[in-house]
Amino acid sequence: MNTQDAGHEATPSPSDATERRGFVKLMAGFVSLLVGLIPAGIGLGFFLDPILRKKQGDGSAADPLEPDGAVKDAEGFIRLDVTIDTLPQDGTPIAVKVKDDKIDAWNRFRDIDIGTIWLRRMPDDTVLAMSSICPHLGCAVDYRPADNDFFCPCHTSSFDLTGQKTNNIPPRGMDHLEARMKPETGNQIWLKYETFRTGTPEKERIA
Amino acid sequence: MNWFANWLDDRTGYRKVLQEALDESVPGGARWRYVWGSTLVFTFFVQMLTGIALWSAYSPSAQTAWESVYFIQHEMTLGSIVRGVHHFTAQAMVVLLAIHLMQVIIDGAYRAPREINFWLGLILAQIVLALSLTGYLLPWDQKGYYATQVTTNIVGATPFVGQKLQELAQGGTQYGHHTLTRFFAMHAGVLPGLLVGFLALHIYVFRRHGLTVAKGGRTATAKFWPDQILRDAVACLGVLSVVLLLAIFKGAELGAPANPAEVYSAARPEWYFLSLFRFLRFEAVEHYGLAFGAIYVPGAILGVITLMPLIAMIRGGHVLNVMFMWLLAAAVVGLTGLAWYEDRTDSEFQAALKEAHRDGDRVVELAQGPTKIPVTGAGTLLAEDPYTQGPRIFAKHCSSCHRFDNHNGRGVKVVTRNPETGAADPTPATAPDLGKFGTRDWWHAILTDFENHFASTSGSDYDLETSASEGMVSWFRESQEVINNPANKDDVAAMVEFLVAQSQRPDLEIDEAKYGRGEEILSSGELTDGSITTCDSCHGGVGGDFELGTDNGGIPELQGYGSKAWLTAFINHPGDPQFYGDNNHMPRFSDKLSPHELELLVRFLIRDYQPSSHEASHHKTPATASTANEKSSPDASE
Repeated sequence: MNTQDAGHEATPSPSDATERRGFVKLMAGFVSLLVGLIPAGIGLGFFLDPILRKKQGDGSAADPLEPDGAVKDAEGFIRLDVTIDTLPQDGTPIAVKVKDDKIDAWNRFRDIDIGTIWLRRMPDDTVLAMSSICPHLGCAVDYRPADNDFFCPCHTSSFDLTGQKTNNIPPRGMDHLEARMKPETGNQIWLKYETFRTGTPEKERIA
Repeated sequence: MNWFANWLDDRTGYRKVLQEALDESVPGGARWRYVWGSTLVFTFFVQMLTGIALWSAYSPSAQTAWESVYFIQHEMTLGSIVRGVHHFTAQAMVVLLAIHLMQVIIDGAYRAPREINFWLGLILAQIVLALSLTGYLLPWDQKGYYATQVTTNIVGATPFVGQKLQELAQGGTQYGHHTLTRFFAMHAGVLPGLLVGFLALHIYVFRRHGLTVAKGGRTATAKFWPDQILRDAVACLGVLSVVLLLAIFKGAELGAPANPAEVYSAARPEWYFLSLFRFLRFEAVEHYGLAFGAIYVPGAILGVITLMPLIAMIRGGHVLNVMFMWLLAAAVVGLTGLAWYEDRTDSEFQAALKEAHRDGDRVVELAQGPTKIPVTGAGTLLAEDPYTQGPRIFAKHCSSCHRFDNHNGRGVKVVTRNPETGAADPTPATAPDLGKFGTRDWWHAILTDFENHFASTSGSDYDLETSASEGMVSWFRESQEVINNPANKDDVAAMVEFLVAQSQRPDLEIDEAKYGRGEEILSSGELTDGSITTCDSCHGGVGGDFELGTDNGGIPELQGYGSKAWLTAFINHPGDPQFYGDNNHMPRFSDKLSPHELELLVRFLIRDYQPSSHEASHHKTPATASTANEKSSPDASE
């Protein structure tokens, strides 16, 4: 094409040629960049999905499906298989598994264990509920009967029975969870299960 | 052939390329100390091959990751070898990287004009570490799951962007399918791609400057091919041999499938990260905040290493670099040793580790059974397994009074911290040790050693002398002479045989002759030498089926004693008149245990589950549960 054109027209002046070379360079660069950036852009956008997508498809299921194995009230409190009477009088913590529906990407898991919490019966017959997820780095906090305290076997975070930290490993105490009793359901304990960011002095809710 | 080679060279120029690659001159002669770089290239090559092989059988999702790795490890041809080689070569790479880096620093090979290549090497090292971190999660077992949680939570502690970074790494706010798909894309796609690119640059720049001649090269300049290549190949063979031996004789571990609701107390990172792990256990470090110990300090160390070529430009800089390196190496070795020592001497950690291994082996045992793995994943197999779930329920609900073979059911001694000395003293049990509940040993102890067998209850408010067992204590004292008479030894064994058969436990093989003799003795009270009061004079009938709700006036039911139905009813309501009645001191569990938990606990206590190789020596169990059942039930239900 070019050679044919050149044959038909007069030889272009040097300044014309330079101008044209510049335009070709610009276009070559622009088009190359474009064909590179478009696939890279859509790939990157796709990769950023977890922080870009509005409707997050994970965590505990927001809208209940009936009939549902897990009983959950309008405020998101899950009914546990535990009543206050089954907790030890002396306040010894008991680990309880929390069940709920869980949505993980394309799956909805019905009524599965989503986490473990610690429950204690307090002297005034209220319930203290704490997450078993260590606020340091997310390992599982365990109760040590011998020392009557909470202890994380990963980085040795320790807490007293109210969840206050007793050494300087964790940035904050154990995360308290909202628990309530509903006498109409036979003193059964209802719990709002939440998880929090680890490694921060403040308690920041994740899901 | 020669014609073909000439033709090919004419069209491609391969000879020149080959010559350039192989004719690299090695000043001072080929030496063993130059092999490390080549072994690293070799290990990467091994990882590519085994990695692609594993890729062809791996399925990244929360319900299939563990399951496909199990299939690779335990079912597929050469599966355990391929996975083992991949696993141990990854570790070999880290060791070789450390050697390579230390050698470069000691020899001052990072100095001009090789600064860029040093930095390329540091990038490569970080890619290798990232590969090992991402690979640790992929089997989706408890160990990888909990250890990687720590890693991603550290990412989340990065100032400003941490939370978003963590969500990007995890594919959401929590772990799930997308955590696996993303880690896998990193591990098998992005990171190896980057590694190939940077490795090409690294080798290109290396060739441009040639190798750093070590002092003391005595011989004349040699050629890369074959002088150095022979040494490199032998070194690679050495690495491969070690890896193969480890793969064959040690094998890559596969723990129990990941379960976010199952408290896992044996989480540890891969051994080469133990020093960083241990560093985060110092209160003095952690009170500056998590980011300090987990991000700033390691970042600063990496920063110093990165600056080494520049530091070496100042006077004495090289010596400083070498000193820093040795200090760092000492710290890494010291912290790793400390972490290792602490874990070795921590009995609770050891018990958790033992339990983790047992669960891992058990789930494989179940997966190899006729049911295979259900579509809900291998986690379901464990959740329904009395052998592994029973001990957890026992520890939680029973071990404050009872013991199981002297521990809490999960292998941990029940202790109380002495407030004065700080020592962990054993907590006395206040109810019998149930490790042998319902077995021949159990019955033998009741007949021949009643007071000691239930001695633990004497320490509590429940006293043998004054309560329900009073009648049993007097029976025992009366009958001792007859029962412990050597002439009646076989008779006692026969009584034990008859009594133990009441449970109709699937793991028992009943000796029919003994059973018949036992039945005879217990109905007549006549032994070979002397006589005793029979059981049914107080306990009502013996030898029939268990029926719920019989009123025995607080004398425990012996019909079907130790059977599933008996034990379930007993644990639910031990204070019923059918059992201990008014004399009962055990809490009822009908409102403490769900029916599912109770079933798991009962089946654990009476060993009603697929036998495990872990407890093979525990009792004389026949090969399969069903044959034992056939043998024992006709007799027992007479």
